[in-house]
Amino acid sequence: MAPDPDAALMVAFQEGNEAAFRTLFERYGRATMAFCNRFVRDPARAEELAQDVFLKLHRSADRYQPSARFTTFLYRIATNHCLNEVRRGEYQALAEVDPKSQDGAPLDPDALPGTSATPEEVARGNALARDVAAMLSRLPESQRAAFVLARFEGLPYEEIAEVLGTTVPSVKSLVHRATVSAARALEPWSAGGAAS
Amino acid sequence: MIGRVRHVDDDLTALLDGALPGDRRAEVEIHLSSCPECRSERDRIARALSALSLTPPPPAPPPGFEQRFYARLAREAPRHRSLLDRLAAHPFRWLVPSTGLAALLVAGIWIRHADDRSELEMARHLDLLENYVEVASLGVVETSEDVDVVFHLDELREGRP
Repeated sequence: MAPDPDAALMVAFQEGNEAAFRTLFERYGRATMAFCNRFVRDPARAEELAQDVFLKLHRSADRYQPSARFTTFLYRIATNHCLNEVRRGEYQALAEVDPKSQDGAPLDPDALPGTSATPEEVARGNALARDVAAMLSRLPESQRAAFVLARFEGLPYEEIAEVLGTTVPSVKSLVHRATVSAARALEPWSAGGAAS
Repeated sequence: MIGRVRHVDDDLTALLDGALPGDRRAEVEIHLSSCPECRSERDRIARALSALSLTPPPPAPPPGFEQRFYARLAREAPRHRSLLDRLAAHPFRWLVPSTGLAALLVAGIWIRHADDRSELEMARHLDLLENYVEVASLGVVETSEDVDVVFHLDELREGRP
């Protein structure tokens, strides 16, 4: 396995180098917020959760073993934190309502694939994101975590198993069941993307 | 084959994700070549994955994202990790118990041979031990050569060759 430069930064932080920690935050803070947003669909809360994750990382740095990839360690903290958050229940209602507030804010057209998205494409992107978020909110939590890690974070099954503390066959099953649910929920989009 | 057909639904997502081992992948593909039902299910999952890939990313954080975190970090994290925490994480943390043991040993020898040891020499040994502890706690010892440097610096300070 190639040396993990992030692991080296984490070790430097363990030895007292605060700048190394800041580098890690600058590298992964925004991605962590995006990850958290998949669970809570509220950018302000997602930012708080991402901050919580890095504060936990700051406090528990001594528990990090360089044998594990840094991102695996980070995803483990973030996943547990987000699942604890959604267990509180207040996000269930949000998932079913408020069609105008996908993630609580209009999407940035510049963030859509292609730089010259038309207003129609932006609207379709928002609608798709809303349907995906609603579908996610209905998944059981372990399926949801596995699905987000596989589909949006692009982690291989082996790494998802490490993050969730389970086996690869279990991850395969979780991802499959969640994907079948997604296929059912996104049928209108799959059939030609004309959902509106 | 007439009778029960073993469908491969459970493997279709892993197949599309490229996560099936080679031998299982071959079995699934052979089955797909003769099972329209499983092919249809595979295509349905593939279309869903394709739709998912068009999902826009979540909104970017508002400006000041890093600054807000650093401000919170300054409020909530200990400003400085304690000396004990830093020592516990240091690669030369073994120096602490080692120097403690060495100090006990030297003290024992000093007590037994107080008559043979000048007070000045004893103070020099204790100084040296103190230097090791201090340097280890500062976190500047990276290699065993650094430890040697501490020893020789002490010799230089004492004006010894």
